[in-house]
Amino acid sequence: MENIDKLYEAILKGNLPLAVEMTKMAIEQKMDPKSIIDNYMSKAMDEIGSRFENGKAFVPELLMSARAMKGALELLKPMLANSDIPRAGTIVIGTVKGDLHDIGKNLVASMLEGSGFEVINLGVDISSEKFAASVVEHKANILCLSALLTTTMNYMKEVIRAIEAAEIRNQVRIMIGGAPISSAFAKEIGADGYSSNANAAVSVAKQLLAV
Amino acid sequence: MTSKETVLQSLNHKSGGRIPVDFGATSVTGIHCRVVEALRRYYGLENRPVRIIEPFQMLGEVDEELQKIIGVDVVGIWGRQNMFAIDETRLHEQVTPWGQTVLVAEGIDLTPDKNGDVYIYAKGNRSFPPCAVMPEACFFVNAIERGGAVDDENLSVSDNLEEFGYISDEDLSHFAREADKAAATGAAVVAAFGGTALGDIAFVPGMGLEQPKGIRSVPEWYMSTVLRQDYISQIFEKQTDIAVENYRLLWEKIGNKVDVVFTCGTDFGTQTSQFCSVETFNELWLPHYKRMNDWIHQNTSWKVFKHCCGSIVPLIPSLIDAGFDILNPVQINAKDMDSQRLKDEFGDSVTFWGGGIDTQKVLPAGTPGEVREHVRKQCGIFGKNGGFVFNSVHNIQANVPIENVVAMIETLSELK
Repeated sequence: MENIDKLYEAILKGNLPLAVEMTKMAIEQKMDPKSIIDNYMSKAMDEIGSRFENGKAFVPELLMSARAMKGALELLKPMLANSDIPRAGTIVIGTVKGDLHDIGKNLVASMLEGSGFEVINLGVDISSEKFAASVVEHKANILCLSALLTTTMNYMKEVIRAIEAAEIRNQVRIMIGGAPISSAFAKEIGADGYSSNANAAVSVAKQLLAV
Repeated sequence: MTSKETVLQSLNHKSGGRIPVDFGATSVTGIHCRVVEALRRYYGLENRPVRIIEPFQMLGEVDEELQKIIGVDVVGIWGRQNMFAIDETRLHEQVTPWGQTVLVAEGIDLTPDKNGDVYIYAKGNRSFPPCAVMPEACFFVNAIERGGAVDDENLSVSDNLEEFGYISDEDLSHFAREADKAAATGAAVVAAFGGTALGDIAFVPGMGLEQPKGIRSVPEWYMSTVLRQDYISQIFEKQTDIAVENYRLLWEKIGNKVDVVFTCGTDFGTQTSQFCSVETFNELWLPHYKRMNDWIHQNTSWKVFKHCCGSIVPLIPSLIDAGFDILNPVQINAKDMDSQRLKDEFGDSVTFWGGGIDTQKVLPAGTPGEVREHVRKQCGIFGKNGGFVFNSVHNIQANVPIENVVAMIETLSELK
């Protein structure tokens, strides 16, 4: 069996072509998709996330790793969809209405995806109705809301109200993040979790779902 | 002492003078048009459409009446065109999506589409896809990334240089006229001549170009600072060549009517970290910044203003080495950006132009009493021994309560 250890390095270094090549090789060798994710992809994302949190890696490196990871994961998705492999949970994520910033939100999505969550990334400028409908449609365990602006962060309250109005508040945990957001603000608006960076978001999500 | 003398004294780190104030002189020290209108109403000034001085962030003009009320010591001079390459000398009245009547460049139509979104077109030319959008419920404009995936085989440095060129005679004359007017006010004068920011992410999408080529995606640009350093360095090299030549022509024409040049708004900080390592900054940016700043210092009396958001403490020594005289916006709410520490460690080497009031929590969400206390505290720290121009951490946003802005203005007045 060919060694796919390079997959870990490829994702850590953000080498997309090599990550894709190694993943194809692993699929040909009929490796278990869950073990590819757990033993290589998640570990690499854990490591780059940890370096990012400790100031040893920066946004560009995290973007590169996320891109390599997503390229590899795309190849595994058909196999995951046709299997009964358990996922860590389902997460709906998006930037709230009126706000088009998505780099931080996408990094959070990638870190969560790389850690074994199924992630539905709705994009930017998302209305409260769309968030609520998506949580219902995907039976999401966690809803992640992002805002960069002081002018849009208050919209998170409206999203939480929409989730309550749809009577699904007890089915979904809500995490929030973005530059002006704090744990105090999360508490004030009734969110369940907050993280200041993409790496810490994974820990918060796992704590919320006790996985 | 005139406003200009007060500012220059502070920029030269001399103590004894009062704290100078800037609101409205640059695109990063301004006030959203909604707040400008509210201020005019509060102070009983004539009810008239606010002029949009910078349409990307929908900044309103802080005109002479408001300058006097706020106690502003600095005025700005602006280019003939805005960042969408739309003529700023011809204005028309428009109503914003939030119902405010404003005066804005004729090439900008603020009428929302059926989804409530307002689109803007490079050069005002609707033959090409829009370059920017103000979505419903947003109070300013966002770039639309065009240009598609990067084809490394056919990538040419000239593609990312299309918007940077030598200054025209028409622009030189415009800046000369504006500098004359600004200098005659007795205030210090800040100029943003344009084209000199190295890798400012706000400009990367090329909003003034009808069909931008090269690397125009924000994430792709960030990754390119690691993956394509040679390419980026070549862009910066050529930009610096152009900048130095343009500065030479501008200095000949304008001279010391301008006091400060706002050269670069590239953000190197996030809320909790930096966008690159110190090593990457020193290799990729510092040599070009230094060449530009050294030329300015050796040939002019201008001070150089650098805008850089976020948590940037590890990079400040390099920014000082690169020759920047002024740092803005001094994001005191970002990680490790403690005001006293900044003043103690770097206050002798650089002027803090900003950091006067936090704009993430205190100004938008605090009480007027908290605003007053905070402003006094910040002025006490940064105002010692000069080296400080009072401004908020970046522009005052659309949703800031007017009573908080008034509390800030009144406290500044008391401190005088």
